[in-house]
Formats: sequence, C-alpha cells, structure tokens
Amino acid sequence: MPVLSYYPGCSLKTSNRFYEKSIRDVSLFFDIELREINDWSCCGASSASAVDDLLAYALPARNLAIAETEGYHIICPCPACYQRLRVANEKIRVDKGLMDEVNDAIAPLSCYGSMEVKNIIELFTEYVGIERIAASINYDLSSIAVVPYYGCVLTRSWRIKPFDDTEDPVSMDNIISAAGASVISWQYKMECCGAGKTITDKDTTLRLSSRIMDMALKKGADAIVTPCPLCQLNLDLLPIMGRRHESIPVLFITEVIEMAIHGRIGGGRSHIVPVDGLLKKMKNA
Amino acid sequence: MKEKDKRILKANFLDEITEKSREKISSCYQCYRCTNGCPMAESMDIYPHKIMRYILLGERKKVLCSGAIWACLMCNTCSIRCPNDIDVAHVFETLRRIAIKDGVAANDNLWEFERLFLESIKNYGRLYELATILHYKLEKKEFFKDTVMGIKMMLKARMGILPHSIKDKRHIKGVFEKIEKGRSEV
Repeated sequence: MPVLSYYPGCSLKTSNRFYEKSIRDVSLFFDIELREINDWSCCGASSASAVDDLLAYALPARNLAIAETEGYHIICPCPACYQRLRVANEKIRVDKGLMDEVNDAIAPLSCYGSMEVKNIIELFTEYVGIERIAASINYDLSSIAVVPYYGCVLTRSWRIKPFDDTEDPVSMDNIISAAGASVISWQYKMECCGAGKTITDKDTTLRLSSRIMDMALKKGADAIVTPCPLCQLNLDLLPIMGRRHESIPVLFITEVIEMAIHGRIGGGRSHIVPVDGLLKKMKNA
Repeated sequence: MKEKDKRILKANFLDEITEKSREKISSCYQCYRCTNGCPMAESMDIYPHKIMRYILLGERKKVLCSGAIWACLMCNTCSIRCPNDIDVAHVFETLRRIAIKDGVAANDNLWEFERLFLESIKNYGRLYELATILHYKLEKKEFFKDTVMGIKMMLKARMGILPHSIKDKRHIKGVFEKIEKGRSEV
C-alpha cells in the first residue's frame, strides 16, 4: 500500500471540505494511505510572495521540513499550494544559500528538499495508474461530456520543469477518459478564473469566470472538471455572484472518479450549481 | 535638474528594479507576448509590455502610480511565455512592494487583504477565512457589500467559520518575527 504525506492546505479544511472527503474516499478505494502532515501550516499563498521573497520560501519550507522527518513524498491537491511547496522544495534543494537562509528562519526545523511534491493528477497517473482506473469502473459515464479545466497555476511553476505541457496539459483528460466520461477539447484549459480577486474585486472574478462558463456551455459540456479548489469555488459561485445566465456543475476530478466507481458524489450537496442532473445521466455499467 | 542628472535618475530606476526583482528587464525587446496573453490587459491603464518599456526608460512615477500593477492576478502566463525569460509577474510583484513603500500605490485594497491574510497566518498558522474577510470589509468600510453572497456561502458550508489553529503557534510566529527583523535591518 503506497503511503504519502498529505498537505491539505487551508481551503480543503474550510470552503472545500467536500473536496478533501472526495480525495480520501477515492484514495481509500485505490489503497493509498494519506498521512496528514503533522501540525502543517499555511503555504503563504500569494500573500507571502507579495510581501517578502524569503517568507514565500520559509512558509512552505516549514511544512516540507516536517514532511521530511516523516519520510514520505508529499501529495498536495490544491494547485496553488502545490506550486508554492514545489518551487520552494526544488529551489532549496539546489540553492545552498537559500537553504541556509530558510533554515535559519524556520529553526529548529530544517528543510533540505529531499522529498518530492506531487499534485492530485499525479496521484492518479503515478500511484494508481490509468489502466487501474479504467478497470475499476462500475458506472457508465459515457453520456456525460465534460471540459477539463486545469486552472492557471498548475503547470506554470516558474523555472521548474512542469509535470505536464505548460500550455496544453493532457494528463487530467486521460484520467477523465479512463473514468468513462467524454472529454471535449477546448482552448480554456488554463484560463485564469480571477483567483483571489473575489474578495477585493468581485467584478473581475465575475467577468473572468463567466467567460470560462460561457465557453463551456458553447462547447456543449454537461460539467466542468477541475483539480483546483479556488477555480471550483469561483465558477460554482457564479449564480450567487450575480450571473444571470445558466451555469453547469463544476466537479473536482476526484468526484468524476467517485461517480465512476460508486455511482454517487459524496459532497454533492456542497455544490452551489446542483449536480443531480448529472447523476441522472449516469447508468450502471 | 540638469539633463545629465535626469538621465542618471532614470537609469537608477532600471537598476533598482533589476536588483530587487533579479530579472533582466533590459533584455525585453517588446514582442507584446506578455500583453497578448494577459487576462487582465483590458482593465489595465498601461499594458504589461509598456510597463517593461517604461522601466527601461526610467519612468518611475508613471510605473509605480499605475493601476496596472495592481490588476495583475499572478497567473504567470506572461512569465511562461516571455521569450527572454523575464518573470514579468514577479517584476509586477516587485513594483507593488516599492509603490507601497513609497506611498504611491493607485489602490491598496489587494495589499490590505494580503496583509490581513498574513496576519491570520502569523496568529493561527492557517487562514481564518471568516475573520480575515470580515476584518477586510470593516477596514474598507464595505461591511454590507457582498453580505448576501457571504451568507449563501455559509449556508452551503463554503466558508470557514471557525479558526483552524495549529498546535505550535509560537513557532510560526517566530518564523514571521525573524524574517521581519531581518527585513528591517536591511
């Protein structure tokens, strides 16, 4: 049974608790043990790097340091946390000067960049395997068409080898296909949803997320599928942010797998755009 | 001011940004790719490629007072696409810090929010969503703006209502304090 250190990040404990539940549910099904990093703290998000470069490395490094003592590679489902943790991890590994500075700040802990940081897509491609997902299907999703929406930061880790193509990733497309749903090709895979502007400038998020939702509708999708908790929240909030046009459900990638293996979405009621219509389209395989 | 002094002052701005951002801005050849890919370009008073150009020309005031540097969403599209390997988003981040320090920021909403966000992490180790948002709304005197949205989010359990403290709060506070101290010594 593979064991991974699990870094949830703040949003999976607050506004996206149902994402964590879904991740745990699916991991359990595929016999992967996720051990939550002991006493983890916030990665600093965009705020730490806005203010200070060293803080932007030290906050993720505190978590990496704890994970290093636990000895397992790290899985980080939130793409923003993933980017912060992975960039810090790889920079600290190769830059001795930065390593010393960071370790001085996080003492008595110390981080050497000795572990690997993986995202939620890699959990499936590397630790489960596409074939195993395809072989585990109990429900037929072939009448459900979705657009894969990766969000803006997942492959845009600056000056670090991306895990998939920077502009046209396909890894999540493969997972969705393996789960039996049909993938619609579109050009908005990496468009920005408005990210953290929702609080300081709601109209920007409304405009950018609406554009993504409109394109998904135009493409004839039944749902948008994403690995990112912030993208999910922004797109799902559209009806209460003031969007008057129709919206389709926004699913997490793990929820698509949940549908394929269990025939349900455990956190369905946490969705603002209802998912019942999708579930009705599903058939027993 | 003499013509020569003006030139020196202008060159200093490029040096200042180059040093602080550690990005080689002088390699920009105005290909427009940063602007073409930018999801926020339409709401910017100065397009990203022009910001880069104005830095080269030493237009300190124009750049630091622009609204453009605050419109950026840090999606990194520009940085990834730059043929000269300039991390444009990081240059914007650097410009924001200087604009705040100089007291010339066109809009400090975002900065205020980032500050409150970090305050929450310094105190609890994790983001306390509800308190941070309410604190921000109070400071901005926008208490009744987006209230309906907030209530609807809470009803759907889409907002963290309680704080999530880590156990070793003293450690995280110490990390912040060490870095703050180091910054004030520079």
